[in-house]
Amino acid sequence: MTDATPEMIETAGGVADTRRDRLQKGLKARYGRERRFRLYGILAVALAIGFLALLLGRIVTQGYTAFYAHEITLPVYMDPARIDRAYPQGANYQLMTAEQELRRLGETDDEQGSKALAMRSLFSSELKFRAAERVRENPALIGQTVALSAPASDEADLYYKGEISKATPADQRRLSDEQIEWLDRMKADGSVRTHFNAALFTNGDSTEPELAGVLGGVVGSALMLLVTALIAIPIGIGAAVYLEEFSPRNRITDLIEVNINNLAAVPSIVYGLLGVALFINWLHLPRSSPLVGGLVLGLMALPTIIIATRSSLKAVPPSIREAALAMGASRTQTVFQHVLPLAMPGVMTGTIISMAHALGETAPLLLIGMVSFVPGVPHLINEPAGALPSLVYIWENASERAFHERTAATIMVLLAFMILMNAAAIVLRRRFERRW
Amino acid sequence: MKFPFFRAQDDRNGGSAQSGDVSPIVQTPGAGPEIVRPAEANAPSGDVAPGQGGMTAPVVTPSAGPTQPVKITARDVSVFYGDKQALYDVSLDIPDKTVTAFIGPSGCGKSTFLRTMNRMNDTIPGCKVSGKIDMDGQDINAKSIDPVLLRAQVGMVFQKPNPFPKSIYENVAYGPRIHGLTTSKAELDGVVEASLKRAGLWDEVADRLHSSGSGLSGGQQQRLVIARAIAVEPEVILMDEPCSALDPIATAKIEELIDELRERYCIVIVTHSMAQAARVSQRTAFFHMGRLVETGDTEEIFTNPRERRTLDYITGRFG
Repeated sequence: MTDATPEMIETAGGVADTRRDRLQKGLKARYGRERRFRLYGILAVALAIGFLALLLGRIVTQGYTAFYAHEITLPVYMDPARIDRAYPQGANYQLMTAEQELRRLGETDDEQGSKALAMRSLFSSELKFRAAERVRENPALIGQTVALSAPASDEADLYYKGEISKATPADQRRLSDEQIEWLDRMKADGSVRTHFNAALFTNGDSTEPELAGVLGGVVGSALMLLVTALIAIPIGIGAAVYLEEFSPRNRITDLIEVNINNLAAVPSIVYGLLGVALFINWLHLPRSSPLVGGLVLGLMALPTIIIATRSSLKAVPPSIREAALAMGASRTQTVFQHVLPLAMPGVMTGTIISMAHALGETAPLLLIGMVSFVPGVPHLINEPAGALPSLVYIWENASERAFHERTAATIMVLLAFMILMNAAAIVLRRRFERRW
Repeated sequence: MKFPFFRAQDDRNGGSAQSGDVSPIVQTPGAGPEIVRPAEANAPSGDVAPGQGGMTAPVVTPSAGPTQPVKITARDVSVFYGDKQALYDVSLDIPDKTVTAFIGPSGCGKSTFLRTMNRMNDTIPGCKVSGKIDMDGQDINAKSIDPVLLRAQVGMVFQKPNPFPKSIYENVAYGPRIHGLTTSKAELDGVVEASLKRAGLWDEVADRLHSSGSGLSGGQQQRLVIARAIAVEPEVILMDEPCSALDPIATAKIEELIDELRERYCIVIVTHSMAQAARVSQRTAFFHMGRLVETGDTEEIFTNPRERRTLDYITGRFG
C-alpha cells in the first residue's frame, strides 16, 4: 500500500469517482421519490381536512341559528267576559292577545276576524298554556292587565333571524306583508327579546318547531347505549377471551371465527329486521323502546368488539404468558392478571369505536319503530323513545322550515355527545395503559 | 391454547432436520460415576445404524468432585411437535445442588428438553412428550401431578428478561401471592426482600420497590426475574439462555449469582456460550440434532470429550 505508484492511485480514484457519480445520481432519484411521496401525503391530509371543514362548516352555519330564539312579550288585559273563572284553561288566550295587539297597532279587523287569526299565528301555542297557568295560580289576575310572554311562532322566529325575506314575493313565503309589518312594529316597540334557546335542550320532540327539543333524543340515545354497552361489552370481551385463550383449535371454532367476521360486515338494516322478528314479534318487548334498540345495536356491536379484543389479545407478547405460566399461574390467572390488562387499551379502542357506531346508527331504528314521533322525555328503557339520529331523520323530513336549522343543531349535539363519550373512554384507556 | 414460542420453533425446525443418523447415549440410572456407552464415536454418523446393539463395552468415567443425589431422572424422553420429532430418547440424570449446563448448536433440542422438566411444552398445541421424567422419584407427567404445582417447584428463567409490567415489588410478590405462601403483608415483605437480596438486586432497588420493573436495565431485569422465580422457594431452577441478551458485565453478575444459588437449588442452564458453560456448570450435557450426545463433568467434557462431535462443537468447528 505504501509503495503504490501515483498512477495506481489515480486509477483507483477514477473508478471510485464513477462509482460515486452513479450513487449520487441514484440518490437524487431516491430523494425525489421521497419528496413526491411526502407531497402526496400532505395533499391527502389537506383534502381530508378540507372535506371535514366543509362538512362541519356547513352544519354549523346552518344550525347555529337554532341556539337562539325570539320571545314576544305583550300586555294583555285578562278580560273577565272571556275567561271562565271555573275553567280558566278553556279561554282562548291566543285570540284574545291577538285582538288586543291588533287594536294597539291601530288595525281594524274584518268580520271574519281574519287579521286576528293572522296575528295569532305569530305566537307560539305555548302562550295559551302560560296564560292559563298564571290565571290558575292567581285568579285575581282576571280583570287586570298582565305582561304575557311567549315564544314567537316558528315563522315569526325565522323572519327575525332573517331567513324569511321581505324581498321574496308574498305568495312564496309563509308570512303575508301584513304580518311582516306587524312583526317589524312589535320589534320596534321593544316587545321582542332574543334569548338563548333553552327549550332546544330541555324539551322533547314536538310538532311545533319552536317548542321542539333534543332532550328526548339525548336521553333515548343514552338509555339505548347503556343497554348496548351492558349487552355487548361483557359478552364480546368474554367471547373473545374464550376464543383466543381457551378454546381448542378445531373445525367448529374456525367456523365460528369465519362467521364472526362475516357478521361484522352484515348491513345494519338486517340487524333491524332481526330485532323486529326476535325481540318484538317473538319476545313481545315494547316497540320503539331503548331496550329493543339497545339489544339490536348490541348484537351489531358484538362482532366488532370480539374482533378488536381478539387482535389485541394476540398482540400481547408471548413472553408475558410464559412468565406467568412458568411462575405457576393457572391459565385463568394468566389471562385475567396479565394478558387481559395488557390488552385493555386495544379492547377499549374497539369498544369505543363500536359504541360510537351504535350511537350514530339509524337504519335498525327505522325498523323497530324508534323513528316515530315521541313527544316528551323517556325515563325508562321500556318506554317509547326517540334517539338522536332518528331525530335528525324525522326533522330533516319535516315540512316546517324551522326544523331544518334544528336538524343541524341536533347533528351538533350528536357530535358533541360522541366527542364526550370518546373523551371519557380515552381517559379510561389512559388509566389502563401500561408499558412492557 | 397456542403460544407461538419462538424457542420451540427453532428446536422444532432443527431437531427434525435429520433423524435416525445418530445413536443416543445410554446412561445407567443413579448418581456418581457414570456408565456411558460411546458408541461408534468417531464413525461418520450416516454410516451408523440407528440404535445401539452394544458395539462397544461400557466405559466408566470417573466423576470429579463431591457427588450430589440425583434430583431429576429422565428416561427415553422424546418430544414431538405434530409429526416432527424434536427430541430423540434422551436419558439423563440431573444432580441436586449442582449447575448442569446444556450445550449444543441452535435447534438441537436443548431448550425443548429443558421445557419438558416444568411441562411448559404442555402449552404448545400439538406437542407430545413421551418417556419418563422423575423428580425425586415422582413422575412429573403423571396424571396426579398438576402442572401448576409442578411449576411452583420448578422455576424458570427465560432468554429475554420478561418481568411483568408491574412494580418491582409486585413482580417478586406475585408467586408467593398466587400460591398462598404467605399469610401476612409483613411476611410477604420479608419474602420479597430475601428474594431480592439472594438475587443480588436488593441494594440497587431497595429505594424504588414500587416503581416499574420494566424500567430496570436488562441485567437488572434478569436478576429481578430470578428473584421472582426463587420467591416461591422452588427446588429446581431452569434457565433458558439467561445471559444471551445481556452485556458482559451483566452476564458476569448473573453467573456469579448462579454460582451462589447452586448451594440451595438444582440449576439447569441452557447456554450458547461454551465459556459460560465452563465457568458456571459442574455438569454438562451436549445435545446435537435432537439427541443427547454426551454428558459428564464439565471439566471432563471440555478437556477430554469422548465424542468427535463434542470436540468439534466445543472447539468451534461447527455450531
